[in-house]
Amino acid sequence: MSGISRRSLLKGMGTGLGALAAAGPFLSANKAFAAREKELNILCWEGYNSAQVLDPFRSKTGATVKAESLTNDPTMINRLRAGEINTWDLINVNNPWARKVMLPEKLIKPLPKAEFEPFFDKMLPEFKAPYKWAMSDDGKELVGMAQRFGPYSFVVNTDKISRKTAEDTGWDLFNDPALAGKYGILESDDWNVFNIFIIAGIDPFKSHTPEEFAKFEETAKRVFKGAKLIGDIASMNQALISGEIDLHMTGGTYSVSPARADGHPNLRGITPLRGPLPGGKGGIAWIEITSTVNNPNLSPLALEFLKYVQAPDVAHTVAFAEGTFNPVAQMGTKACFDLFTKDELDAIQWDSLQEEMDRSVHYDIVPDYDKALDIMNGAKRLRG
Amino acid sequence: MASLAAASPAAHAPEGTRALRQQHMLSLGARCALPVAALLGVGFLAPLVAILAYAFATPRSFDVFTSFTLENFAGLFDPANTVWVSFVWSCGFALLTVAILAVIAYPIAYGLNAVFGRWSGLISVFFVFPLFVSENVRLYGWVLFLIKNGVLDGSLKWLGFSGGPEVLYTPGITLFGMVYTYLPFMLFPMTLGLALVPRDLVDAARDLGAGRLFIWREIELPLAMPGIMIGMLLTFVLAIGATAEAKILGGQSIIVISHDIEIAFTYSQNWPLGSAMSVVVTLFIGALTLFALSKLDLDRMLGRR
Repeated sequence: MSGISRRSLLKGMGTGLGALAAAGPFLSANKAFAAREKELNILCWEGYNSAQVLDPFRSKTGATVKAESLTNDPTMINRLRAGEINTWDLINVNNPWARKVMLPEKLIKPLPKAEFEPFFDKMLPEFKAPYKWAMSDDGKELVGMAQRFGPYSFVVNTDKISRKTAEDTGWDLFNDPALAGKYGILESDDWNVFNIFIIAGIDPFKSHTPEEFAKFEETAKRVFKGAKLIGDIASMNQALISGEIDLHMTGGTYSVSPARADGHPNLRGITPLRGPLPGGKGGIAWIEITSTVNNPNLSPLALEFLKYVQAPDVAHTVAFAEGTFNPVAQMGTKACFDLFTKDELDAIQWDSLQEEMDRSVHYDIVPDYDKALDIMNGAKRLRG
Repeated sequence: MASLAAASPAAHAPEGTRALRQQHMLSLGARCALPVAALLGVGFLAPLVAILAYAFATPRSFDVFTSFTLENFAGLFDPANTVWVSFVWSCGFALLTVAILAVIAYPIAYGLNAVFGRWSGLISVFFVFPLFVSENVRLYGWVLFLIKNGVLDGSLKWLGFSGGPEVLYTPGITLFGMVYTYLPFMLFPMTLGLALVPRDLVDAARDLGAGRLFIWREIELPLAMPGIMIGMLLTFVLAIGATAEAKILGGQSIIVISHDIEIAFTYSQNWPLGSAMSVVVTLFIGALTLFALSKLDLDRMLGRR
């Protein structure tokens, strides 16, 4: 200790910093030119970033796998637009973005079709190749792989509002003045835009007239004013369980499954029997598509990871990754389906999954989303 | 340089050059501070410059440094835009938090200085301890305490009462959360301020016949004012940027300005608008801080006088 003086310490620090500064450009240059064989970066919804999913892949490949989870698609896509295309290898977002936005903008690159298309034949029947959302608009390229999916409309406490009443009344529950102060709104603004349109009796996935926007604004103000709380999934489930609220929008298997698995089967995702969506449908469902980013130095592990999550046991782990439990397309094979226990199937509402998916249109892009979101944010501010 | 060398005797040239070089070079302290200054420049200033640049970029674009428009600010100050509601909530609640905390923290600070004696240390630890736990965790703890059939409601029902008050998810509980969260930030500067009041002065005033109220008004309060002002300023700056209380306890019954900024950067993906809001709020807080600091005598506060 006596050998270290303030001067020598400062000198040492200076030398260290100087060495670091000198080596910096070489370090980054090495990184830029090195093949990224032992490195994989995933931008995803929560679940794929869990240790249960990633750790076995890490041990198998000896690679450094980093995953960042975000909870809305536009943020993830804009991260690529803002220049992070060189950082990420895989991006996992809802169905329309890959074929409608990311491929045309060259943010992702197609998958080797011959290698990956056979996986779709092992999935549930509706995912059989060529699966619309996994293909480019012209139907020639395979733009991503499907895995988790689910209906996502609203959730009720069936002790307070029966499943039959909820399905039959549908979105009009949120137009019922008697239920003001008894419902919550999940902080998931893209979905809330869809739902406010539907509550107003308007199809969200088209361009809207000024009259429709006026109706949207009136509905948004009323629905947000009547909400007991706005919050995240944990807050919604907690408020449902405690009895603070009887129902909440937006919600479905993705949000309510942890509470159901936790011993609250009375909480249930509901897909209305009818609504203003094409074909008179009343629900919306999402399907995640995982694509390879158009990274000039894409990690070879990206394709390997996409294959890894197709294995029955890994697909089951993905379905029950921490935080949210969901059905997966790979349940189409017996080996995968058999891994699900009765309780797990009950948590993801397997009993009604098919009919709910049949009553739902698929998540899509709202052409005038920005305007609708601004109106909705304005309505939200007037809650207080 | 050349003329100076020519004018100097040859034998003295090295000393002369060294002296000149020393004149032109930074002092040792400044040179030592360079790495930190560089780190601050990159880590602190660069994001601020980026935010400032984004505030003047085309709305809903990423054309930072390549476009210039005042549209984002025009949109913010458009009377049709309701963003002022969020700003008023944030400012109003920050002011209320400061006012309530001033009243609550003063007696505690006084107690820590003059009443609690050897227990002061332990009592201080009780106020510091919550800071070791994440704010969100503490706020979720309050939710569990106050929620229907939660700790309070459930216990009261068990004891035969009709149940707890329905306070969760209201603006009032948001204010409570802010007061709870920021108490230490008001308490400790205030305690420091009160510690600087010389006891002799108070005793002398008492000997001369001054009453309690008079001593408090004429001696304690003015002498402790720098500490009180620092506490108020710190609390106000933190409270105006508070989001978690309104989100977790308040259930977003009010939307605060920092939440609006967050929405602009996430769901709206309108970084220029979010940046413009950030710039306006930063300027407001900055101006207020500078004004308050200009009124404070920091030397006296730190006991250097």
